[in-house]
Amino acid sequence: MRLIIKDLCHRYDDLVVLDGIDLTVQEGEVLAVIGPSGCGKSTLLGIAGGIVAPTSGTIAVAGEVPDGCLNPITFIFQDFALLPWRSVEDNLSLVLEHHPLSAAERRERIESGLRRMGLWDFRKALPKQLSGGMRQRVGIARALAVRPAMLLLDEPLSALDAQTRELLMEDFLSLWQRERTTAVYVTHNLDEALRLADRVVVLSRRPGRLREIVTIEEPRDQRLEPSAQAHLAEVRDRLWHLIRAEAQLADREIADA
Amino acid sequence: MTVVRWSRRLVLGAMGAAALALAGTPAAEAQGLEKTSIGVLALASSGPIFIAKSKGYFEKEGLDVELKMFTSAQQVPVAVASGDVDFGVTGLTAGFYNLAAKGAVTMIAAQSRDEPGFQLSAYVATKAAHDAGLTKPADLKGKRIAITTVGSTFHYMVGLLGQKHGFTVKDVTMVAMQDVPKMVAAFKGGQVDAVIAPVTVARQLAAEGSGTIVGWVGDETPWQLGALFTSPKTVAQRRPLAEKFVGAYLTALAEYHAAFNAKDASGAVVKGPGYDELLAIIAEATKQKPEVVAAGLPYVEPKGKLLVDDIVNQVKFWQSEGQVDKALDAKSVMDLTFVK
Amino acid sequence: MPDTSLPMTERSAAPPQPVRFRGGGFTVKGHRWAALLAFVVLIAVWESTNRFGLVSELFLPPPSAVASALAAMAQDGSLWQHLKASLMRIGVGWVMGTVAGMAVGFAMGIGSVARAVGVPLVSAFFPIPKIALLPLFILWFGIGEPSKFATIGFGVFFPTVIATYSAIDSVPRNLIRMAQSFGLPWASILRKIVLPGALPGILAGFRITASIALILVVAAEMIGAEYGIGAFVLTAGNLMLTDQLLAGVLVLSLLGLSIGTVLSILERRLLKWR
Ligand SMILES: Nc1ncnc2c1ncn2[C@@H]1O[C@H](COP(=O)(O)OP(=O)(O)OP(=O)(O)O)[C@@H](O)[C@H]1O
Ligand SMILES: [Mg+2]
Repeated sequence: MRLIIKDLCHRYDDLVVLDGIDLTVQEGEVLAVIGPSGCGKSTLLGIAGGIVAPTSGTIAVAGEVPDGCLNPITFIFQDFALLPWRSVEDNLSLVLEHHPLSAAERRERIESGLRRMGLWDFRKALPKQLSGGMRQRVGIARALAVRPAMLLLDEPLSALDAQTRELLMEDFLSLWQRERTTAVYVTHNLDEALRLADRVVVLSRRPGRLREIVTIEEPRDQRLEPSAQAHLAEVRDRLWHLIRAEAQLADREIADA
Repeated sequence: MTVVRWSRRLVLGAMGAAALALAGTPAAEAQGLEKTSIGVLALASSGPIFIAKSKGYFEKEGLDVELKMFTSAQQVPVAVASGDVDFGVTGLTAGFYNLAAKGAVTMIAAQSRDEPGFQLSAYVATKAAHDAGLTKPADLKGKRIAITTVGSTFHYMVGLLGQKHGFTVKDVTMVAMQDVPKMVAAFKGGQVDAVIAPVTVARQLAAEGSGTIVGWVGDETPWQLGALFTSPKTVAQRRPLAEKFVGAYLTALAEYHAAFNAKDASGAVVKGPGYDELLAIIAEATKQKPEVVAAGLPYVEPKGKLLVDDIVNQVKFWQSEGQVDKALDAKSVMDLTFVK
Repeated sequence: MPDTSLPMTERSAAPPQPVRFRGGGFTVKGHRWAALLAFVVLIAVWESTNRFGLVSELFLPPPSAVASALAAMAQDGSLWQHLKASLMRIGVGWVMGTVAGMAVGFAMGIGSVARAVGVPLVSAFFPIPKIALLPLFILWFGIGEPSKFATIGFGVFFPTVIATYSAIDSVPRNLIRMAQSFGLPWASILRKIVLPGALPGILAGFRITASIALILVVAAEMIGAEYGIGAFVLTAGNLMLTDQLLAGVLVLSLLGLSIGTVLSILERRLLKWR
């Protein structure tokens, strides 16, 4: 599924957060969004997912949705957003219960989601009994249970430690290997963007404007190969260069305020 | 000893700081006088005490008496029992007799009486009940009557009425409302057929048209409303003090009787000697308008004699109601050696 | 490798000092028997003050007198009559106040108009002492059970409103957004997210309102009640029967204790996930 954003502006009262964003997310691509703190990345994602109403501009989707898709645009959250009073399987069940599914189909979706994320043995556990990484896996399994056409990920790994992050990146890689689900991936972490994204959008400091879109030529599954490192280092330098200036200015603004 | 003091404070603290010291005699003036205190309510029935204080009868007996004001009849005998005041003067309730049964208080002289011709408490019928035929006190049999509390003077008045007209309290439904405002609310709301109400309340209900006064307790069943009392310990250990106190009290009592309880040949109450002066004293002490005080001045027996038979009847009544220990000997609640 | 630490010790003249433990205190440990023991000691001291004549029975009846007053009530069956009457009033009044309070609290927690209207009203009415309203309640509801339910219900209503709407406020917003992003209908969000999310706060409110109901049953039974623990306590006070008074108070506090225990069990059951 494609996502087309046209001339998007957003204000919270007097605070202009996004200004004149034009962006198309292509079918099957993973688009990383980076930018300084507070530049409006989460707002952009919320608008794309239809849970924040933009001040002006249009958002549209086009293209096919997969079979059995219940919720074409689906979020994966930084804080996992699991219901603490529901077990792992019931957290998945939550997003299926309001759809007219047979009990068998619902069970099947829950089971396949949990098995794919290696959570089957923990299906009766409560979120508080799981580690951070496991909790985000529940979040991913929940997203998979609705067979999404597009994933919106808002810093999905930033609450996790480095090793867990690495493991979950592998999970994402195998996900995009198999499903090629379109995704918008907001992050602060250049390494995540370099490992996972096809293109990287750099936003300016607030009000967020589109600074640049950097394409990573190297195929996703070869980015750990020695031959890929030269190109990746070059992309990294460019991104860092862009971010650095913006981040410094944003920092100063915050200090002034 | 310290424990006893502590418990007193506990009990009194719980009663609230309701007791307010009233018009303590300036210290300089009190030189050489024996200090003592009495618990009273700010009602006309405490009139003789206010008169004795105001006209210096206590001082003539060598006493410096502090008046401590309480807000309910319950609190006064408790304060005497706890030793916070030496004397008390209020209406007689089942609670008083329970304290007497524990040896905490004893009556030494009379206070006011319900007496024919003196309108203190009225039987008031609601409009509906009156229309339905409740026109005289005897008709209260079988009716719903609001009272303040179980064991109150109103409760006894219902019992007395029954004794006179051949029914018992079982033949009426008494509804305890805790205080006069709630009693009035139940009455106005038509929740009961009648109340026995103090004169001011009764007259107001009648004036509003929400009720009809069908009789006066004084006319129907005269009885010993209240008494001057102290603790048996005071009688035993400070008898001269008690005698002096009663002496001053009786002087005032006689004056009160002469001024307020005089009747003409037709039996109507008329103003006696010193009426205006004494009325002003009582009005000042009770913080009421003289007209209001004048409307509810009770009868006192000039020599302070208790209606002994009625006191015995009261004790028996409470015992039959199960509210006072059956073992209490009715005669033991009074000490008749102070009033001759 | 061991010799790297050697120069350190050689350099400083003093011998190695053990590190002193300084992390003690300030932690709450369970002392199962302490409370019980404290009770036993308290009762023993109380009883002995009477036995040795330090305090008169009138001022502080000894536990034995209170116990025998209680036993007498249990024997003649009046205890059950009083308990039954009070429990019925507490039960009905509390349920009425709670249901109404939760409905209003929910409206205020969810609807901004309801909140704008409700907050000042609740602030204005909550602090009114219900006892002051008793004469009005008598006129409105009579002197039968309704006025007693109303007294308890009114007392329970306002704290329930406040507990409910602040509990709803404390439901994490991100969970609601998550549910919206998965397309859950409004009613489902209310039932599956808001209600369970607010439950801890609402249950904490129950603890308070249960105590309030218990306090108000005494006030409610000022209104022409023949039976009821509150009526019993009031009468005992009026009659200066201090042993019965304390026996009634003891029943009330035991009632409070059992209600508290029931609520604790309920919390443990319903809030296992915390
Ligand atoms: N609901 C809101 N009301 C008012 N201001 C908001 C709201 N949400 C966000 N903001 C402000 O809008 C700006 C952009 O917020 P947003 O969360 O989109 O930034 P972000 O790029 O995701 O930041 P971060 O990197 O910290 O996640 C911030 O300054 C934030 O304080
Ligand atoms: Mg963000």
